[in-house]
Amino acid sequence: MKTGVVLLCALVVAALSCGVSIAEETPTFDLSEIEKEVEKRPYAFGGFLQAQPTVSGLDRDSPLYKLKFYDNEPGGTLEQSDLGARLEGALHYGDLSAFARLDSFLTHDHEGWHGKMTLMEGYVSYKPGPHMAVEAGKRVTKWGKGYAWNPVSFVDRPKDPEDPEEALEGYYVAAGDFIRSFDGPLQTLAFTPVILPVYEDINDEFGQTGHVNVAAKLYALIWDTDLDLLFFTGASRTTRWGFDFSKNLLSNLEIHGEAAWIQDFEEKTFLANGQVLSDESDVWSTLVGMRYLTETDLTAIFEYYHNGEGVDPGDVKNLYSYIGRAYDAYKQTGDRSLFGPINRLTKEGFTWRNPLRDYLYLRLSQKEPFDILYFTPAFTTMVCLNDGSFNLIPELNYSPITNLELRLRGIIPVGGDQTEYGEKQQDWRAEFRLRYFF
Amino acid sequence: MTKTLFFILLALLALTTPAYALDGNEILARVDKNLAPDSYEMYRKLVNVEPDGSKKEFILFTVKKGRDKIAGLFISPASDKGRTTLRLGENMWLYIPNVGKPVRITSLQSVVGGVFNNSDIMQLDYAEEYDVTRVEDLDKEHLLHLKAKTRTVAYDQLRMWVDKEKILPTKIECLTEAGMLIKTLYFKDMKDFGDGIIRPAVMETDSPLYKGYRSYMIFAKIQAREIPDEAFTLNFMSRLESLR
Repeated sequence: MKTGVVLLCALVVAALSCGVSIAEETPTFDLSEIEKEVEKRPYAFGGFLQAQPTVSGLDRDSPLYKLKFYDNEPGGTLEQSDLGARLEGALHYGDLSAFARLDSFLTHDHEGWHGKMTLMEGYVSYKPGPHMAVEAGKRVTKWGKGYAWNPVSFVDRPKDPEDPEEALEGYYVAAGDFIRSFDGPLQTLAFTPVILPVYEDINDEFGQTGHVNVAAKLYALIWDTDLDLLFFTGASRTTRWGFDFSKNLLSNLEIHGEAAWIQDFEEKTFLANGQVLSDESDVWSTLVGMRYLTETDLTAIFEYYHNGEGVDPGDVKNLYSYIGRAYDAYKQTGDRSLFGPINRLTKEGFTWRNPLRDYLYLRLSQKEPFDILYFTPAFTTMVCLNDGSFNLIPELNYSPITNLELRLRGIIPVGGDQTEYGEKQQDWRAEFRLRYFF
Repeated sequence: MTKTLFFILLALLALTTPAYALDGNEILARVDKNLAPDSYEMYRKLVNVEPDGSKKEFILFTVKKGRDKIAGLFISPASDKGRTTLRLGENMWLYIPNVGKPVRITSLQSVVGGVFNNSDIMQLDYAEEYDVTRVEDLDKEHLLHLKAKTRTVAYDQLRMWVDKEKILPTKIECLTEAGMLIKTLYFKDMKDFGDGIIRPAVMETDSPLYKGYRSYMIFAKIQAREIPDEAFTLNFMSRLESLR
């Protein structure tokens, strides 16, 4: 932790000292210099370096703490330092191009140093013109209009609603994009088919292996409204249909929504004895939201999310009780087998991130208050309507000099016993993130 | 004889009052035409200068077609590289590579911070968004009073000073519906960009809302170019680089 903090301080000081410039009365601009700066090269390379120390106050009575740390308990406080880089590269040759994004991070926590390298995206594209593109490789599709959640994002990993703007890891796909523009109320029509193979060595986290799945999106810009019809079928997951829209009602007010109809979804019921019952039925997941900008540059994002794939609060309580018993058994006998059913559930797609049915999301961000340029404080809260628990995320973002981004934020889950946010493994978390882009 | 005298007087009147005969909306259309061709590409540098003199610079590649289609790609700095913006009439989107999908934005927000907001960066033809309500005849300039055609336009009113000889703006004041000054744009440094495009290369702005701060927009390499309509679509935003 100390190493991380020292390195971080050195980076901040170095970066800030580079940014000090001398006041000028009237800047002069040389157009020929600008023309040199914009020359296009057949290759591009960039990315950022990142340092992120995090301190968490752990709730040692929480079921999720017991599940994660039962065999290696860090104690009441967990300190973690992440150091690493995101590297991006692109090559262009006529109508062909290639792109790759690689994350490489080293983490230090109570278990020591460990590293991880992930190819987030890596694909080749053929773009004979603006009306058409064909791509193959690992990539993110990012379907849907929601900010915190995207129920119609059928061929992507779910995003983290606590950090929804963070880049995601893609899946290996072959995709096309065919665009037509028109005069009149229908301005754009675009069709995006996607083929997603799922085998033992490729996309095996997506669903059942040994199958090729097909998805498609039909987009229209009609009457100044973005509309998407979406579809997924294949044996790796059940067939699903989706619809989304987005529209500016005023120059400072946008509304959006999504609806996904998931056929033959395997609804699970968790009994107190650890038994899992399954029943197939069709379910709806929906989201409605808005983005509003006030005259004082305060942006408010508000969303309601109904998670049709979620479970009842009673089921989660049963899971918490079961984890408690598994933990006690492990402590008394050293037998970890009772954790097996819980780990299997996670492998089958159950997630501890928003497992219940109904959520509200609110984010308020104030651009450049007190005339401080590139400074944006923000406050986010997510409320689980099914059990009344919530979390609070105060946040400060600052970019004091070009290419340097600083973010300081806290995450405080609040809730009673056996509620979603009340039983998070952390009572609080504070993190500082520095990114230097190059 | 009376008829002949009448026609002579009419002809004299027409010859002696050419400026007064220009309709305000005609002047505005000529301002748009003189600022840029109908379909073109250009590069711009945006510079935000803080009261202590420190600066932040952005370089944008921009393509525009017709009166209401414009798309921009950030080339630098590295932290913003690859971001694209798209405007189709009153619809605006921002694409951030990390986020991976276009999101709708509003004209009053700012993707670059500082005094310029999105509608300044993705400026459509003035005649597309405004009607001229009144023309004042000054010594060397026309003063046009503009009123937004709809409520979705960023500034409800503009006061535009137009050089009578060049039919180009020299200064624009942006006001709210109540007449409060939001910002002032100054057009400077006339430059010949070739192909008959002669226009100011620098637009400077200040705002009573950002005391001590100034922002500059420097235009470079403006050139006429035919661009397919499909380049101005959401699906193409992530591929705008391929037009460079």
